[in-house]
Amino acid sequence: MALAIRTEALTKAYKTRTRRVDVVHKLNLEVEEGEIFGFLGPNGAGKTTTIKMLLSIIYPTSGKAEVLGKEIGNIAIHRKLSYLPEKPYYYEHMTGKEILNFYARLFNLRGDDKDKKIDELLEYVNLANAAGKPISQYSKGMQQRIGLAQSLLNDPQLLFLDEPTAGLDPIAHVEIRDLILRMREQGKTVFISSHELSDVERICDRVAILNTGRVKVQGKLDDLLRGGRVEITAEGVPQDLREKINHDGVIISQHGDRLIIDAADTIPTADFIDAIRAAKGTIVSIIPRRKRLEDLFVETIQSKDDVDGSNG
Amino acid sequence: MNAIFAIAGTTLGEAIRRKVLLIIMMVGLTMLILTPAISSLSIRGQHDVLIQMVLGILKITSAILAVTLTVYLLPNEVERRTIYTILSKPVLRSQFLIGKYLGSVGALAIMLVMMTVVLLVAFAIQQSAWSVSQLMPIIQPAFLLLFQMALLAAVAMFFSTFSTPVINFFLTGLVFIFGTLMNPIFETYVTRESSGFMSIVARVAHYVIPNFGSLDISSGATQGGQVMRGGDLVYMTQGMIMALVYIGILLILSVLVFDNKEV
Repeated sequence: MALAIRTEALTKAYKTRTRRVDVVHKLNLEVEEGEIFGFLGPNGAGKTTTIKMLLSIIYPTSGKAEVLGKEIGNIAIHRKLSYLPEKPYYYEHMTGKEILNFYARLFNLRGDDKDKKIDELLEYVNLANAAGKPISQYSKGMQQRIGLAQSLLNDPQLLFLDEPTAGLDPIAHVEIRDLILRMREQGKTVFISSHELSDVERICDRVAILNTGRVKVQGKLDDLLRGGRVEITAEGVPQDLREKINHDGVIISQHGDRLIIDAADTIPTADFIDAIRAAKGTIVSIIPRRKRLEDLFVETIQSKDDVDGSNG
Repeated sequence: MNAIFAIAGTTLGEAIRRKVLLIIMMVGLTMLILTPAISSLSIRGQHDVLIQMVLGILKITSAILAVTLTVYLLPNEVERRTIYTILSKPVLRSQFLIGKYLGSVGALAIMLVMMTVVLLVAFAIQQSAWSVSQLMPIIQPAFLLLFQMALLAAVAMFFSTFSTPVINFFLTGLVFIFGTLMNPIFETYVTRESSGFMSIVARVAHYVIPNFGSLDISSGATQGGQVMRGGDLVYMTQGMIMALVYIGILLILSVLVFDNKEV
């Protein structure tokens, strides 16, 4: 699979009066064409800085980066990519259609082709009925959808979306998420920076978790989240059996007569079930749980390891 | 070119909607309309004083408009993040900068034309002067004023590539004041003293700082009610060429700085 983005020891440093601060430190990233890639990290991790470097809005201090097979800084590749910044602002005196017309002109689109493309996109993001309204009258969700529409004007191969669902209500949230999934169906590569981990978990193929400018974890989501937990709920479990079950990797909690056993899936939980049944206890439910991205994120950020990982 | 005109059009559209600019223009227009009444109290020839005063008001209002409009052009784009979506498109930074500049000059031209039309009407009514030749002492300086303001906007644009709006406001203001007083300064330090440190400084400043004074023909325009130097097409053309050369140099410098700037 060809690479849509490749960075090699990409670094961005700023000098303060007393020291040099690496906002992004020797970043090695590989994003394959046609995938949705989640770029995660706490505030100040260097996500937006990385995106800005890849778009040549700011310049790297050292290292290399290629986007769609060309070194960054080559304006020609900007014809094939698009960017939706976090909390974008549009010229509020313009209508949705005028905004798209403005951005279309930046791509040198003209005449009927331009008008047709704009109408198609307004339909695509479900804003055809609001096309004549000034942006100042748009809700946040509508503004985000017009932002997505402007980012699709050039039918890009690669989209950079910075916090595309931040601050949206649940309906707008789902709409934007569905639009992103449709982009993958169309073969586009989507690079998403987001704090919305549930969204990332649902739609991304691979992720990288960044902290203090360094990649801590990078790989396929399925691989990274492998190794989950099993939750067993039982009733009538004798006290002595509870003590036998209680060991490393198992969290036991009591809710009335019910005992909830939360165990890592590496622990032989079948033995617990057999023991409970043998002691005349009742198994109410057994729920296998995949490790959540949130768990991985918290583990990664709290970990002191400084590994430029690449797990797949 | 399509990108430049698209950016210029958007900049113009936004500028003419900015309330602060409209307020400045309304204050200027009010003063222009009230000036005939004030000038009638003058002991000097009413006609000359009136022209001097209205052209002075026009110049000050235009200068405030030009600086206010231009100093925020780039910072606003960065603050609102609009620049990110634009620069992520196949748009060169030079195209962005020139588009912003042309848009602001377009907005300035519209405002200046509006004020000049109001001024001409007020002047014509007060002076009962309806022929073009009678109005020429205002039309010609106002026309050159547009070049002055375009040059001032280029100065502000250059400073905005590396300074904050407040610092830019003062720097541009200083350049405008020195540039306006360039001829008397040059006269004092170079013509009268042919050597010495101040003479060298004045000579350097004479070439580096745009000479706004040479684009001001308001004093010549009023003498005897006839167009003096302003009527000299060569003089006006030289002034316009000088302004265009400085604008070109300032825009090139702006692009060089802005190309390396992290936004």
